[in-house]
Formats: sequence, structure tokens, C-alpha cells
Amino acid sequence: MSELKRILHVEDDPSIQAVVKVSLEAIGGYQVQTCSSGRQALDEVEAFAPQFVLLDVMMPGMGGPETLTKLSERIDLAKVPVVFMTAKVQPSEIEHLRRLGAREVIVKPFDPMRLAGQIQAIWDAGGL
Amino acid sequence: MQSSKSVQAVTPPRELSRLAALLRYEILDTPDESDFDDFTQLAAYICETPIALISLVDDHRQWFKSRLGLDVSETPRELSFCTHTIEGQGIFEVSDAQLDRRFNSNPLVTGDPHIRFYAGAPLTSPDGYNLGTLCVIDREPRQLSEAQRGALARLSRQIMRLFEERLQAHRFADQAAMQQALLNSAASAMLVTTADGRVTGVNPTAERLFGYPEKMLVGERLTDALFPQDALFRRASILSNELEEPIEPGFAVLTAPLLDGRREMREWRLLNRNGDAVPVLLNVSTIHDENEQLHGYIVSAYDLAHQEHLQLRLQQIAAQVPGMLFQFCWRPNGQSSFPYLSEGVEDIYGLSAAEMEPTIAPIYERIHSADRVQVLTSIRHAASTLTPWQLEHRIEHPRKGLIWVEARATPMRQSDGSVLWHGLVTDVTERKAEQFELDKQQEMNRRLLEALSEAVVACDAEGNLTLFNNAARSWHGLDAHQISPERWAEYYRLFQADGVTPMRMEEVPLMRALRGEHIRNLEMTIVMNGTPRYVLANADPMYASNGQQNGAVAILRDITERKQIEVLQRDFVSTVSHELRTPLTSITASLGLICGRVMGDVPVHLQELLDIAHENSKRLSTLIDDLLDIDKLYAGKMRFELQTQPLRPLLEQALRSNQGYAESYSVSIELDACPEVSINVDAMRLDQVMSNLLSNAAKYSPTGETIRVYAEKVGLQKVRVNVCDKGPGITEAFREGIFNKFAQADSSDTRKQGGTGLGLAISKELIEHMDGEIGFDSTPGAGACFWFELPCSARVETSS
Repeated sequence: MSELKRILHVEDDPSIQAVVKVSLEAIGGYQVQTCSSGRQALDEVEAFAPQFVLLDVMMPGMGGPETLTKLSERIDLAKVPVVFMTAKVQPSEIEHLRRLGAREVIVKPFDPMRLAGQIQAIWDAGGL
Repeated sequence: MQSSKSVQAVTPPRELSRLAALLRYEILDTPDESDFDDFTQLAAYICETPIALISLVDDHRQWFKSRLGLDVSETPRELSFCTHTIEGQGIFEVSDAQLDRRFNSNPLVTGDPHIRFYAGAPLTSPDGYNLGTLCVIDREPRQLSEAQRGALARLSRQIMRLFEERLQAHRFADQAAMQQALLNSAASAMLVTTADGRVTGVNPTAERLFGYPEKMLVGERLTDALFPQDALFRRASILSNELEEPIEPGFAVLTAPLLDGRREMREWRLLNRNGDAVPVLLNVSTIHDENEQLHGYIVSAYDLAHQEHLQLRLQQIAAQVPGMLFQFCWRPNGQSSFPYLSEGVEDIYGLSAAEMEPTIAPIYERIHSADRVQVLTSIRHAASTLTPWQLEHRIEHPRKGLIWVEARATPMRQSDGSVLWHGLVTDVTERKAEQFELDKQQEMNRRLLEALSEAVVACDAEGNLTLFNNAARSWHGLDAHQISPERWAEYYRLFQADGVTPMRMEEVPLMRALRGEHIRNLEMTIVMNGTPRYVLANADPMYASNGQQNGAVAILRDITERKQIEVLQRDFVSTVSHELRTPLTSITASLGLICGRVMGDVPVHLQELLDIAHENSKRLSTLIDDLLDIDKLYAGKMRFELQTQPLRPLLEQALRSNQGYAESYSVSIELDACPEVSINVDAMRLDQVMSNLLSNAAKYSPTGETIRVYAEKVGLQKVRVNVCDKGPGITEAFREGIFNKFAQADSSDTRKQGGTGLGLAISKELIEHMDGEIGFDSTPGAGACFWFELPCSARVETSS
């Protein structure tokens, strides 16, 4: 398993963008590329070539699930985990998001101190 | 010249009439009577003959009513001498039969009794027929003297008189006997009196009626024996006035009217032997003798007591019947009358029976003018077809005002062509008023139904649709039709709540109610032209007053708007929750990074403030979560994903999740016993409850203490999970409301502050939604044990 370096973060709220970036870069030491919308993510994904995608669910315009579907055309979900970040959800909704192709669902509000650890754990757990 | 045989007597021309006259006296072949024997004796003595006879000659013989000196009672007619006598007039004499060629060969001459001399006087009836003779016979030839002849003729006249008298006496006796027989068998009491009123005879009925044996009454004055004096006096004075002559209060009271040629038939209350009143109808008639002279009176008394009794009975029974019972007679000549009217005539017409005679005009006038024609027409029709008559109509009652009556009568045709009706008229004003009220009520109900914005549909016990109000018709686009229940869903476009799945017959609320279910708030849709109308259905069975189910009714409320609002609300809530959470996440996360020294050291003088900010932002976040949870729970909108799963792993997971939290309070958690059972729960929600209980326990445990978690079976089908701490416990004051929103047992304890105050309220809702019960045991100062019980079953592994 190669080392995790590049994480693509798709989130429309600037505050969350900032906090996640700080959390992952300062604590996890990752390189974080932030996109404000699904559209932007699709444009930049190939150039950035992330190893990990952190995807917000509730976004205006193209929502998280749609972005995932579109992303899956450009990246191999088996190699690049896409993880949803969303407010408390029912297990069935988590199931639903997983079936769409997401590797994992991280529930908001998240602990910024532990986020990096969660991401690493998912990366280490590997595909499928 | 004498021939050998007698010359036959020539039959007289009036023979038949003569025979009839003879028979009239009813004397032939009767026994001897001494009165007649006297005459033959006398004749024989006067004429000095040994033989004297009273003979009667019928068509074939002469028969002797009386005979002296001869033993035979009859001889053939052709041998008789008397035949000759009756053919002639006056005395027939034969001095010497042997010398008379008419008789000389007669056996009675040639042989016994050897008649030589015969003299006979005819017995002539008043109408001139010679019926027979009085004759004298001798065996010696002789002649009668003039005196003897005269005597014979006189005697014969006397014998005729005797015949007549005898006949009259017999007739009289027969008549008397017949009268007596009649009297004896008469149902009426009959008393016969003399012309001045003395009783001569009474019949057995009279004896019974008045209680006197006949012999006690005979000879008594009738009016003294049976009549009450005061009544006699009253009648006497009335009669005196009427006849304008003084009438004595005695028998004259009964007879005076008769002398005037009037009938005397009157009701009296006579007295019987005991002095009791005997009501009778008395009829007095005269008896005349054969000379048209007044012989006496016959008084017949018809017992009215029975009739009075019957009338009284009828009156009493009729008084029980509400209304007027009547018998009405309609004669062919157009006249009509009421042979009988019960006392109810006052109740119905405000009249008395007396006012009804002689015409029925008073009744007719009381009928309301608008109804008269109908009354007459319907009666005439009923009379002509001999069918029962029934009609409701109005009467203007003098006392009660305008009333409604129901009249009914049955006609019977009588032999004289009149029609006799028997009927009843009852006052139905009240019933009519009630009916009117009922009709008004029903009309109002109908209007109400139509005015309702809800759709109302009803069916009868057989599933026939009986009612659709306006709303129902408009929503379904159709009226109630004879559609069988299998086709209701299809015909009336019924779908399930999703607006897409058609309802099956057994799901239709009206059908379920018909089967006895009570349906409340069932969501369904009616889809018309592709547009769904969301409705909430309530349905119930309907019962008749005898308790039998007689149908079902369904009421549908349109909730389309509400549904739309709900969708908006749901969107709103999720939007709001997202909008609330997002900034809060940022705040919490930022503060978390700062306090976690990720951005470098935090200046000491800022540390405490930043910690406070961080803690409170976390608290705010939890509060929002709790609020949204409790809102969802109370609105019934929280979805539970129940799954039967083993208990132990769930408890172990809960301990793991809350370990960190407990450590931050320097307390540890221990899982003790746990039976191997499975519970049917939403794992996430159970975890939420456990976190609530454990975090509470952690907050209130003294440092260094252990929180004990253990589970135990309660009975056969429940398991209780206990979370016990050694904290201060719950004081009496807080026990009541501890599961209420925002109740904290001890808000003065600032060191252990924390929590939203909603945790236990949410836990209670969650546990109860999962079919369980929550509670606590606590002794103040000795800690608290919060527990919840859930239904359990034998451990089943989940397939995950």
C-alpha cells in the first residue's frame, strides 16, 4: 500500500473547507485540494489525480451522489476511495450511499482532531 | 112390491162439505162422554124405547158417540137408518121396518138387533149440515107422539150445542196449552194479569228474574209486587200531564197509554224479591176474549241487566282505547247515523254522543275545510268497493284547536242495502309533530352532510352503496352505484398512500369497516385524471338499534394540502438542520483544532476562554441534534430500522463508544452479566440510549468509581439492562419529572454540568418506540440505577 498524500476535498461551505484543510494538513500531513462544487471537482480531478476523495453530500447544484457518479467515470473507485461526509444519517441511507460507490461515510459533525486518523484508517483498510 | 135388497140411500150433493163439518167437531172415535150418555138416556125415557143412539155418519159408516141398549159402536153406512135421516129434514120415522121396503131386508131388521121401529132427529150443524142423528129404536112397531117427536127434536138441538161447546172448550184448552207452552219457553219474563192488574200467571223466566215462585205472585197486584213506588209516582205524574187527566200511580200507569191506542214499551227498574233493582224493558199488551172484550194484559219484561252489563263492559273497554270507537250506518236513502260512539267522541270532536242525533252534521262541520272533500271521496270509494278506509285528516276541535287524526273503518254491506262501518279515530297530532320534527332533522342532516368538506360514503350490510355526499361525488367523479365491493377500488379510483399502488378490496376502509373494523387515519389516495388527492380515511361499522350491524360508513378528509406542507416542512427541517449544523461544525472544528494545539501553542490567558467556547459549541451541536431528534420522535416521523439481534454485542459496542467519555471524567465502565438473548431494536437508537445513560452516569459518578452495566431476564419474555452509578442519586423532588424535557436532577452542581436536559426524554421516547419501558431505582446518597426493559427472545445471530 502506497502512502497517502493527495486528498481531494469537495465541499461548498468555506468554513468547513478551511477547518478540514487545516485538520488534514496540520495533523495528517496530507496535501489537500479543495473544490467548492461537484462541477469544479470534475474539472480538476484529472489534473490533481487524487488518491482519496472526501465528498460532501448536501451541495447546491450537483449534489454529492451525482458528483460521485460522474467522478466514477474518471477515476477508478477501487483504487481511489471516495468518502462521503454528511450529518447524522440512518443506516439505510448509509447503505444507500455505499451502494452508489462510496467507500465509507463519515458523519458530521466530525472531530477535526481525529479526522486524519479516520482517513488513514480507511486508506489502510484497502479496496473493496 | 118389496125387493130382496135394500134400496141404497142416494149420496147427498153436499156430502164433502158435510163430512168436513163433521170432522170439524173432532168427535169421531172419541171415548164415551157422560154428557152425551145423559141425552140418550133422556131420549129413551121420553120415547119409551129400549134403544137410543147418538150416531154420526161419515163417508163409510155410522159411528155411535153414545148408545143405550146396544153394544156395537158402529155399523156400515149402507145399513144405517140414520143415513136416511140426515138426507132429509126433520124427524125420520119408520113405524114398522118389516113393512117398509127400504128396510125389510136390512140385516139390522132381519137379524140383530131386530129393528122394527126407528125414529131419528138429525143433528144439524149451525151451517146447516146434518152430521148424524139422535135416534130411538124399538123391537116393536110403534109410533111417536107429537110430544115425543118434539122432545126428540129439542134433544137433538141440545146435543148439537153440546158438540159446539165441547169443541170450543177443546179449542180453548189447546190455545191455553199452546200459550202456556210459549210462555214457559219464552226468554222474556211474562206475566199475565187480569184487567185490573192482578197477576194470573207468570212464566218460569219471570219466576227466575224476580225471584218469586208463581204462586206467590198470583192474585197480587202487579204494580204493588214489582214496582218501586217512587218510579210509579213519577210516571203517573208525567202521564197525567201528557194525557191531561189524573192517572193513579198503580196499574193504570201501564194501561192508560194503551187505551189511547199507543204502544206501551218502556224501560223500568223493577224490584226483585230481595229488593234489588232489576232493569227491564217492559211491554204491555191487551188480551181480548172471543167477544172482543178486554180479558186482561200480558206484560213481558226483557231483562236489561245483561245488556246493561254488556254495555258497561263495552264502555269500559272503549274508554281504554285512545280515541273514538264507532259504529256508523249509512243508509241507501242518504241518511246516516252512529248506532254506537264511545266516549272518545269528546276527545276527537269535542262533542257528546247526544249531540250526534239526529244527523251527523256536527262531525262533518268539525272536519277541516280543506280536508272535507278528500274525506268524503275516500269514504265513498271505500263504501262502493267495500274496502277498508283509512285517512289522516285535520279536525277543528273546540277545545284543542287544530288536531290531526287518523281515521280507519271497515265497511260491511247489510241486507237492507245500507253500509255498516266499524272503526276507530285517534288523535295523532303528537305523532304528526314528531314526524315533522323527524323530517326536519333528516333534512338538516342531509344538508349538513352535503355541506361537509369531508367525503361521506356509506353502505348497507350487504355492501350496497347507500350514500354519497356532495364531496364524495366530486372526489370520485361518480355517484353511489350498484357496484359490488370487488370493483369499488377500480371504479372509484382508490389507491394506497403512495398514489400509485391500487388498493385491494380487503384494504378499502369501507370494506374493512363492513367487516367490523374501526379504521382511524388511514392514508390513501383517490386518483382522478392522473392527479392524486391524498385523503385520510376514518371508517366504522354502523349498528341498528337492536345491536345488529347494518352497514358501514367511511369519512375521508382531504389532506393533499397538508401533505404538501409536510413535504415542504420535511424539506425545511432538513434544510434548517443542515443550515444549523454546517456553521456549528465549523465553529466546533475550528475551536477543536485550536484547543488541540494544532495551530501552535495557545497563550495561557486565552486557554480558558477558548476551552469554554469549544465546550459550548459542542454542547450546542448536541442540543441541536437532540432537538431535531425529539421533534422527529414526537411527530412520529423518526424511522426505526428494527432488527432482531443479540443483546450482548450491542452492549459491548456501547461500552466501547463511551469509554473515552467516561475516561474524561475519570470513571470506568464495566459490563457484568448479560443473558444470551436477542432484542428487536434499531441498533443506532439503542446505542443512543446507552450513550445517554452512560454519559449521565459518568457525569454524576464520583471520580475513580466504576459504572456497572448488567442485564438480566425479567420473566420469560423481557430483558432488563441496568446502568448503575455511585453518584448522589435522585432526590424525591426530582423523581416525578426526571424523564421530562429539560429536567436536571441537580442544577446546582456546577462541576458536573453538561448535557442538554433532553437526553432522558429522548431515551424514554426511543425505548418506548421499541416496545420497551424505562425507569430508575435510586436511594438519595447511595447512587442511581437507570434501567430499561425490552421484549426479548432466544439469541438469534444477525446475518450481516
